[in-house]
Amino acid sequence: MTPIRANGAIRNGLIAFAFLGYLILIGIPGRIGGAALPVLALVAALFFWVRLRRDASGTDGSFPQTASPTGKPGWEIGAPGHTVSQEQVMPLPGAGGALAIRSGLLAGITTGLLIAIVSFAFASAIGSGASIQPVLDKIVPVNVAALIGVSPGQIANDEVPTLRYLLLVLIFTAAGLLAALAVVAARVRNPQKAPVARLSKSLDSQLYRTVARFTGILLPFLLLAYIAWLGIPGVSAFGSNEGTVRLLLTLIATGSGLFALRLVRPGREQNVVAPLLALGALTMPFILDQFQNSVMGLVFIFVMMGLGLNIVVGYAGLLDLGYVAFFAIGAYTYAFLSAPFSSPYISSLLNLLAISPEIPLLGYWTALPVAMLTAAIGGILLGIPVLRLRGDYLAIVTLGFGEIIRLFMLNLGELTNGPRGILEISQPGLFGLAPQSFSSGFLSSQGWIFLLALISSALVAFVAIRLNDSRLGRAWFAMQEDEDVAEATGVHLVRTKLLAFAIGATFAGMAGQLYASRQINIFPENFSLFVSIDALALIIVGGIGSPAGIVLGALALKGLPEVLRGVDEYRIVTFAALLVIMMIVRPAGILPSARRRTQVAAPDEQALTPGAEEPVAKELDGDTARQAQAASPQSEAVRDKEDQ
Amino acid sequence: MTALLSIQAVTKVFGGLTAVDNVNLDIEERSITSLIGPNGAGKTTLFNCLTGLHTPEAGQILFDGRSLIGLRPDEIIARGVARTYQNIRLFGRMTALENVLVGQHLQLRASHWSAVLRSARQQAEERAARSFALELLAFVGLESHAEVVSTNLPYGEQRLLEVARALGSRPSLLLLDEPAAGMNPSETDRMMELVHRLRDEKGVTVFLIEHDMKVVMSVSESVAVLDYGEKIAEGTPEEVRANARVVEAYLGPEVVLQDTVATSDI
Ligand SMILES: Nc1ncnc2c1ncn2[C@@H]1O[C@H](COP(=O)(O)OP(=O)(O)OP(=O)(O)O)[C@@H](O)[C@H]1O
Ligand SMILES: [Mg+2]
Repeated sequence: MTPIRANGAIRNGLIAFAFLGYLILIGIPGRIGGAALPVLALVAALFFWVRLRRDASGTDGSFPQTASPTGKPGWEIGAPGHTVSQEQVMPLPGAGGALAIRSGLLAGITTGLLIAIVSFAFASAIGSGASIQPVLDKIVPVNVAALIGVSPGQIANDEVPTLRYLLLVLIFTAAGLLAALAVVAARVRNPQKAPVARLSKSLDSQLYRTVARFTGILLPFLLLAYIAWLGIPGVSAFGSNEGTVRLLLTLIATGSGLFALRLVRPGREQNVVAPLLALGALTMPFILDQFQNSVMGLVFIFVMMGLGLNIVVGYAGLLDLGYVAFFAIGAYTYAFLSAPFSSPYISSLLNLLAISPEIPLLGYWTALPVAMLTAAIGGILLGIPVLRLRGDYLAIVTLGFGEIIRLFMLNLGELTNGPRGILEISQPGLFGLAPQSFSSGFLSSQGWIFLLALISSALVAFVAIRLNDSRLGRAWFAMQEDEDVAEATGVHLVRTKLLAFAIGATFAGMAGQLYASRQINIFPENFSLFVSIDALALIIVGGIGSPAGIVLGALALKGLPEVLRGVDEYRIVTFAALLVIMMIVRPAGILPSARRRTQVAAPDEQALTPGAEEPVAKELDGDTARQAQAASPQSEAVRDKEDQ
Repeated sequence: MTALLSIQAVTKVFGGLTAVDNVNLDIEERSITSLIGPNGAGKTTLFNCLTGLHTPEAGQILFDGRSLIGLRPDEIIARGVARTYQNIRLFGRMTALENVLVGQHLQLRASHWSAVLRSARQQAEERAARSFALELLAFVGLESHAEVVSTNLPYGEQRLLEVARALGSRPSLLLLDEPAAGMNPSETDRMMELVHRLRDEKGVTVFLIEHDMKVVMSVSESVAVLDYGEKIAEGTPEEVRANARVVEAYLGPEVVLQDTVATSDI
């Protein structure tokens, strides 16, 4: 069995190498620049993760586990979700863990060695002056230098330190290890998937679990320390100190922080680690530079948007494509209050009232409740006409609403200054302090926005999670499951839907206000349909209904593209490919909510819940069979026809 | 004493089809009443009229002396009329416990603010709701399945869970639409025992639709028969069994569609 597995791991390494080799040949590293090596390693890690996950679950047979008995198809009629019997034995995570780590390392070493060899060959070819350009047109010093992590000059003069190649191997090995740890950690977190394992108290599995867990928990802190260290002038990562490297590391650190939060055990461990993670997050704005802070600020503004939209779409199940409207309402409300002079109508009105339009009417904090309230009212106004609409119709009408608001902003020139926009919106202060006075030295102006976005997101997430965990959350979810039955069970549909729209809109209003002060000048084009689509995409990618998933979605969708800036023309394609892979690998999102997981999971994954043991044989004949079929929760067509 | 539920000349028309035709029926408090009739007789439609899913074209429905006509479904359940569905309609992705908690939705009063702040009162209310839900699950025999996602429950237990969810609203009248449909004999017995316990232990008035004549005869104190939307008979099980129109309705052209149970027992 061992040779088969080793072969499998080496094959994984070869495939990864082939793919990365292609990227190198078309010159991607040169375009990404300093972040090339981490990006390639990340791609490799992602690939390894996909393969290891599949192998570990034993579906393709390369880690032969117990064969799963297939249920008789006929049973599906009577007892849906029952087709899998208990006999299906799950692989031990202990043994599986050791295996996964071994094959992860092996695959990583394979890829790393091959990449090192190839880059050594390229570097020496270029250094010795051999003309490979006519055949391999992208193998130029810049490209190879980015790959190895040295300066192009060093390549041309053939003075690459050998240690660099070792580093290459190590980095890809680390990628393999990371992927394996992710696979193991996922099993540790999800013991339900491996009920047999929970009982086994073998030292082996215990050790692997502990190692995987602690690595996961420590990772964000190590990354943060590294990011901080990179901030010291003169320090560089792999010979580069481009901002995108630090940005990428920041994105990964933030994401790993979320995973760490899931790995800690409730109780004392959580009480120690969670505050430390929060503290770590709060230090980020202080150690990043203006560029990284501005990207992270935008990411967390979108986190707020995502959390708000998640209430409407994820919790209440109302597909809203016009969500940007509330973002725009929040932004413009603050813009009017903060820069009244930019609006011809408002400034003339203020002049009539003998108030100077030159100074802001309200500061950031006093304007906040106003912006939130206006957005909430917008949410209710949109909610009322669409109360009776479901599914596609709802999506289309809300889409229209989003566009209407944008067109208002564009065409109400007297009020909104039309396409010329509202200019010179002021920054948030703090207890009467002007923003400049404290945001100069140790905290950049974008860092201040990032800090605010971070804190507001946390607040919004807190409210969203608590609401979802109350009777309101249950009513939302019931409504999503079956609106008629929810109403007949006592849920006031009008009130419950409007609350979802209003709360979602309030969060978007908060995000909009922060966005306006981040942008300083806002224009109608900032609030196009694409903002709604981005917000929706990030909650789908992250995992509908799961706040942690939404943060990851925002990091991936709003943060990663900035890292890929260097490969501008490939950016969207690369990104689209990543998204497609994502949706194949994790159809329910990166970190799905438990509920979502049940829904999307394949039938053989979902049935192993306690109590689902005994598939009761039923004699399905004649009338009974008909009713049973109609009653199966899955045959919705039948149900709709019969019940109405 | 006046009836708990009084259905007076209720008529429901779908296009050209009169699904419920001028039906009169009184249901006494703490009784168990069965509604029977061939397929398509309008039984479920009558239940839908009672719970506000349909508005009848004509007639009056009095519950506890007050009209239910024109009320929304959530207002009707607030009055104390709960139901289950012929085609099980649980909140599929919720656990059994959560389903029953949604059933208690109207009993919970804590504000949404207090839910955000987790005030002591809100927490106490949630705890009480939880323990009541567990109590109800135990009542129907599902206490060990509280955390199971409801689609994963066996079919018969899904039906039991629907009853528990309906009980969450502390109803005084419970409408059960074919509670034993698709069940095997032992599950059916369990369900019928539950129907008796509902009345005896919880004091709930039960109005149920049932196809299985054996069950109807054993469980109910009075029986009403619908055929093509009309009430053709009413009385004790014995009276109904002897009724000529009932025999005709069941032995008529419908006999082919009805399975053997119905015919052999009448
Ligand atoms: N929403 C609706 N729209 C149109 N016709 C309907 C609707 N609901 C029911 N019907 C029709 O009304 C008639 C009575 O249906 P109903 O479901 O009440 O019968 P039932 O007595 O419950 O029958 P079963 O034993 O099959 O459950 C049927 O002919 C049915 O097709
Ligand atoms: Mg029916």
